[in-house]
Amino acid sequence: MSERGLQITGLRANVQGNEILKGIDLTVEPGSVQALMGPNGSGKSTLAFSIAGHPSYEVSAGSVTLDGEEILGLAPDKRAKAGLFLSFQYPAAIPGVSVANFIRSARQSLHPDDLTPAKFRKLIFEQLDVLEMDAAFLSRYVNDGFSGGEKKRLEMLQLAMLAPKYAILDETDSGLDIDALGSVGASVDALRKSETGKETGFLIITHYPRILQHITADRVHIMLDGRIVKSGGPELAHEIEREGYDAIREQVAASVG
Amino acid sequence: MSAKAETAIRGVGRASLDTLLERSGVGSISSQARYDALSRYEELPVRVAIRGGRTWKQDLEKLDLTDLAVGDDDAVEFGLEPSPAARRSGDDKFASLALAFARTGLFIDVPDGVVLDEPLDAGFQGRESAVFSYTLVSVGAGGRATVIERVRSESGTPLVCGIVEIVLAERAHLTYAVDQRAAATTRLIVTRRASLAADAQLEIACAELGGLHAVSRVRAVERAPGARVQTVALFFSDGAQHVDLESETIHAAGNTQSQTIVRSAGTDRGQGRYIGNIKILADAHGADASLRDDALLLSAGAHIDSVPALEIAANDVRAFHGATVGAISEEELFYAQTRGIPRAEAERMIALGFFEPAVSRFPTEALRDELRVALENKLGAKAV
Repeated sequence: MSERGLQITGLRANVQGNEILKGIDLTVEPGSVQALMGPNGSGKSTLAFSIAGHPSYEVSAGSVTLDGEEILGLAPDKRAKAGLFLSFQYPAAIPGVSVANFIRSARQSLHPDDLTPAKFRKLIFEQLDVLEMDAAFLSRYVNDGFSGGEKKRLEMLQLAMLAPKYAILDETDSGLDIDALGSVGASVDALRKSETGKETGFLIITHYPRILQHITADRVHIMLDGRIVKSGGPELAHEIEREGYDAIREQVAASVG
Repeated sequence: MSAKAETAIRGVGRASLDTLLERSGVGSISSQARYDALSRYEELPVRVAIRGGRTWKQDLEKLDLTDLAVGDDDAVEFGLEPSPAARRSGDDKFASLALAFARTGLFIDVPDGVVLDEPLDAGFQGRESAVFSYTLVSVGAGGRATVIERVRSESGTPLVCGIVEIVLAERAHLTYAVDQRAAATTRLIVTRRASLAADAQLEIACAELGGLHAVSRVRAVERAPGARVQTVALFFSDGAQHVDLESETIHAAGNTQSQTIVRSAGTDRGQGRYIGNIKILADAHGADASLRDDALLLSAGAHIDSVPALEIAANDVRAFHGATVGAISEEELFYAQTRGIPRAEAERMIALGFFEPAVSRFPTEALRDELRVALENKLGAKAV
């Protein structure tokens, strides 16, 4: 039986010999929004990079399947081809490569020849509107000299244009002012309501709960020291907002002790 | 070349020769000898391809444009003598060699105030033997022109050795681009040097993409206040290729500006060397110079040395230089791969983008596209 979903099972990973992920179990069902919250250093970004296949992150145990297909061991571009997208907290700049060319190459790699150039253009202009960006954005070099808000908008533009099955948004809210956060939220909303995006599953990684005011999570998971220590409904995010991570840490310590 | 254009050139030939001879300081020579020189025009392997529409043909009436053979006996008889500056070039063996044996070349003379809207496209095609050339580009006061020099050779051409001299009068503005894609067996040694009068502006851009061993030197002297030079160069050594690039900008007067931008890459066993000199002489107060040189290594066997140097003898100047040598960053590659772009394609895309700050400063969209395609071919890109 092929199980739909982005399914993470018993995932352990090391960075430079230190075990950062100590057994993660988490499933993102199609069309669902899972929020992963935790303080700095808890391993959230390591989880994102390990799933996406960053060469510096060494997975020592566990599996990650995408609609039943094991993706660990695949090159990062093959994982994207399987339907995975990662929105970076700190996206790399690629000087000399225009946004338009970059997205066109990516789209062509993932969905060869599925859009005529005219349709591609129409789609990208629609998405620019949603993100409140103008056309000049397309001829700028990828993330080169971009402000924090522009970088995150470009991540959202790619998310919309590449139509993945599962998207991990790593700290997409960090460094955004309220307007930028609003347009990021609107972009994800628009995608989730669209025909191509309504089945997309999201894993939203965040330190602060405020992005969850713009994108409603079905489930919230709390990560501490490389483990998911608590899962619950959207109300868990409010608990974090009120009481902070220390309260959770104490609860966990008490239950273990 | 169209018959009409050729007639125009012949029509202005005499006047232009007189101008040239006057400038080069050579004494009078017989009219017959001058016209003999012009009559050789047809036989010469060098052509000035004139492109463009009506504007061009109108301007052509005002344009002095002559193409001459210079060599052994000819030099004595016809007197296409190099300018005094070139004659003094005993310090440079290959420049002297080019002058001594020059049998081909170009003379482009843009008179005072003449503005050419269309670029002059000049091709050098090496065939079975060595090529020695002497080219003089002179732009008069307030004149403006764009020249594209294309260097090609067949595999039987062992050597291309040349000198290009650029003389810019007050307020003259020249854009000079070199597109060198010689055969992989040819050695090239070319010196290009420019002299700028007050408020003159030179944009010189060299793409050294071909040849087995290419030595390219670009030297610009800003002699008077207000002169501005932008030097752009790119090269990409692959196979067993070796490219040796030198640029030198001399600020000999105050309030002069220069900007140097170099992008180089090496792959396979390709070798490269860049020496970039900026000299700001003692009287050049208020000079503003920058030099930026970045090299990209795409294989373990490739090697690029980069030696930028600033020599400043004046106070109150602005001078900047920066150089990097490195491989494609893993973070850029990973980022592109997470978008579904396969690693090899991402490498090509990033490497091509690396050259873009240089490519984008070449004149004409057509030339920029040609260079991008040539670079892509060197990167082994599959046809899309």
